[in-house]
Amino acid sequence: MSAGLDRRGFLRGTLAAGGALAFDLTIPLRAGAGEPALDVHHWIVIHPDDHVTVRIPQSEIGQGATTALMQLIAEELDLDLALTDWTFYDPQTNVSQGNVYVHTSTLASWGVKMLFEPMRLAGAQIRALLLASAATQLDASAADLVIDAHRVRDPGTGNSVGFGTLAARAAAAPLPDAASVRLKAPQAWRYIGRALDRNDVPAKVTGEARYGIDVQLPGMKYAAVRQAPVFGGRLRGFDAAAVRELPGVRAVVRIDAGPSGYTVPPTLWDVIDWQMDDAVAVVADSWWQAERAIEALPIEWDDGPHAGVDSAGIARELAAALDAPGEIVRSEGDAAAALAAATRVIEAEYHYPFLEHAPMEPMNCTALVEGRRVEAWAPTQYGDEALRIAAYAAGAALKDARFHLTLAGGGFGRRLHNDYVSQAVQIARQVPGVPVKLIVSREESLRRSYYPPPLAARLRAGLDGDGALTAWQSHVVQGTAVEQPYGFTRLAYPVPHVEMRYGQIDTPPGFAWMRGVGHTQMAWMNHGFLSEIAHASGVDTLTFQLALLDESRVDPARADQGDAVARVRRYRRLLEAVAAQAGAPPEGIGRGRGHAVYDMSYVPGYRNSCIAIALDVTLDGHGGLRVDDVTATVDCGTVVNPQLVEQQIQGGILFGLSNALYGKITLREGRVEQSNFHDYRLLRLAEAPAIAVHVMPSDAPPTGIGEGAVPVVIGALVDAIHAAGGPRIRALPVMDHELALRADA
Amino acid sequence: MIRLTVNGEAVELDCDPDKPLLWALREDLALTGTKYGCGIAQCRACTVHVDGRAMPSCQLPVARVAGSSITTIEGLGETALHPVQQAWISANVPQCGYCQPGMIMATAALLARNPSPSDADIDNAIGNLCRCGTYPRVRAAIHAAAALATPPA
Repeated sequence: MSAGLDRRGFLRGTLAAGGALAFDLTIPLRAGAGEPALDVHHWIVIHPDDHVTVRIPQSEIGQGATTALMQLIAEELDLDLALTDWTFYDPQTNVSQGNVYVHTSTLASWGVKMLFEPMRLAGAQIRALLLASAATQLDASAADLVIDAHRVRDPGTGNSVGFGTLAARAAAAPLPDAASVRLKAPQAWRYIGRALDRNDVPAKVTGEARYGIDVQLPGMKYAAVRQAPVFGGRLRGFDAAAVRELPGVRAVVRIDAGPSGYTVPPTLWDVIDWQMDDAVAVVADSWWQAERAIEALPIEWDDGPHAGVDSAGIARELAAALDAPGEIVRSEGDAAAALAAATRVIEAEYHYPFLEHAPMEPMNCTALVEGRRVEAWAPTQYGDEALRIAAYAAGAALKDARFHLTLAGGGFGRRLHNDYVSQAVQIARQVPGVPVKLIVSREESLRRSYYPPPLAARLRAGLDGDGALTAWQSHVVQGTAVEQPYGFTRLAYPVPHVEMRYGQIDTPPGFAWMRGVGHTQMAWMNHGFLSEIAHASGVDTLTFQLALLDESRVDPARADQGDAVARVRRYRRLLEAVAAQAGAPPEGIGRGRGHAVYDMSYVPGYRNSCIAIALDVTLDGHGGLRVDDVTATVDCGTVVNPQLVEQQIQGGILFGLSNALYGKITLREGRVEQSNFHDYRLLRLAEAPAIAVHVMPSDAPPTGIGEGAVPVVIGALVDAIHAAGGPRIRALPVMDHELALRADA
Repeated sequence: MIRLTVNGEAVELDCDPDKPLLWALREDLALTGTKYGCGIAQCRACTVHVDGRAMPSCQLPVARVAGSSITTIEGLGETALHPVQQAWISANVPQCGYCQPGMIMATAALLARNPSPSDADIDNAIGNLCRCGTYPRVRAAIHAAAALATPPA
């Protein structure tokens, strides 16, 4: 890496303001009698005035982790929430001390699911330490003591001692063995299961909440960036002199291609990463100046091998791949023979485009490189990896890196990549001692993102003379990805003869998971096709689904028979419930209701939430569509906070609808054609339906709630459009279609 | 030097007159509650009040608002929380929260000129984008704020 211009004058002016490594935005300071706050076994900080700060081992991307996870540890520690606040975990601690926070990547709806046990356990263990410490101080038996308002009290004598006084001893003692503590019985819960207010809301309505983009450091400069416009392109050069004299410009620097910092937890998958391409950045006194200067900067790119790639070509490649045999990924019975013997064969092709996550806060990171040390702040979904990529980009040892999570203005999977952290650190490395805030413009954020890949599916079904579904054959191909689209092989409806084939083509952009992951791409297609089969056999989709959801149809010889039966029962229970809860279906021309149910099951036995949706649409007959009402019935195991569940279901439904109605990223000459919200439309308030959420009581462990609504709502939408007399939607986005009413409707 | 009033205080901005108000607020005045989302007045995360009117600030040069009175999310509730902020807290509206200052500023301006808006009025006035899906709670909170601000007769 080399700076694009001489920075001596710049550095002389700013070095005095540097050296701010002591800044730690994440540790709240409380008034104490000069005593330090004490970190008690990573999970909490006890302040001298008895206040407690809980460390949250997840990113907050809108899902309410800071509230739900707080409820878990507070439950066992008997914390008083009025005396408790929170901060994010420190990735350096987690990385250097062997994953003490258990689960820190924020993905797969796993926050509450993975931490339900560990955070309650941590609370119980720390409680035991505090009680033991208090027993000594109060000359009492630990078993007799109670915790009240962060004081440990002996009910017999009335004597008590505060957490602040006990902290030093508790922090120094080893945690008791997990087997030696007992978690509260659910009947004794005071926080878990309650619709507590979100603890991040007050700051979010006053403007005090600090996101990554709001980080401010003394002497800070701002950077704007341009990555190679074609995926895989290389930087040939740039003419820094052309912008050097523009107001506020301090430096023009190059950023080297490299890993995007996507390595997901290696205990779960093999190490995966995606390329980040060469880029150029301008550092200026103001971001607006930096962005204007980089817009004016002459940059020469080598567009590389993908310069001719466009969406039409990708569609042709997907079609060709559908004509190739593909790999058989699921096979039961003899689908080919059953299709040959079928009275009626139904066939259809379905398509799904590239999408982009478009969280409202554009990508950004603030970084400071000083000597051998690097410190960075960013909204990310995986702080551990952000720390590692920061050290890598700075050329620093991991121990010399610090990374601070900030609030994130949405994530949806985009922030599992930490490319913007690498970019910011590479810039900061070239202006040592100067904190730099990189803000990636909306246009650049949209065009140089990582995208869930496009997908095409050919589906074929056979009905026998009685109209019963005997065969299901599907062939699915998609662009570059690390996974099969799960939703396609995990079809839960029992069909005697099944054959599923898979193929993949190379598409230039790097892969990303997006809220709903591979389930979203396929679940709606399977559901839309099921709706087509129902229609062909002369019944409505709901009737057809319920008839198919008959556990006696599950082949007892199947290896996953138990799982298959459990899924059929669960689907049936939820579908029946949502059909009843949604009430009378809409009547009149152009109106219709769709029903869908799905459980985001990855493999047999996988525990995930199951959600059924009934969705009403109105088609105005002139191409207009309105989603009127959505009813969701949810089985997500134990509910930690009902109002967070409701928010996530509402949010998942609207995310799915926004993408299904409008979402589409296209490529032309190797470049993303869309650039901002005028041509990458999101759903607006006026288009949002009323949403009713019903949660089924359950005492099973929590199964996660962030994503489940996304795949299922799209299935319900395409079913509803047909039920309303509209066309079969076999390709997204919906609004690309003429939504005229069918003659047979 | 550009003179204007921000949250009731007279301020002087020593910046390029073309600099958008959004960036002057965030960088020159350290008022980071007003958010950048798109830069083309589409998402309205940057909504502030200019002489009482809700306007996106990302394309508004500071020279154009010289002499104006600007209110940002930080200045909305002068001494206590504004009724819209209270309603937002009661309804737990925010998820990621990034778009919410803009939503709240747009709502406060709507209620100032239309104390009890219909759903259609809300549809027309609140064009702010939210990716998390807070819209149903936004709508409910606007009605609740209207009730808070308008005591029953």
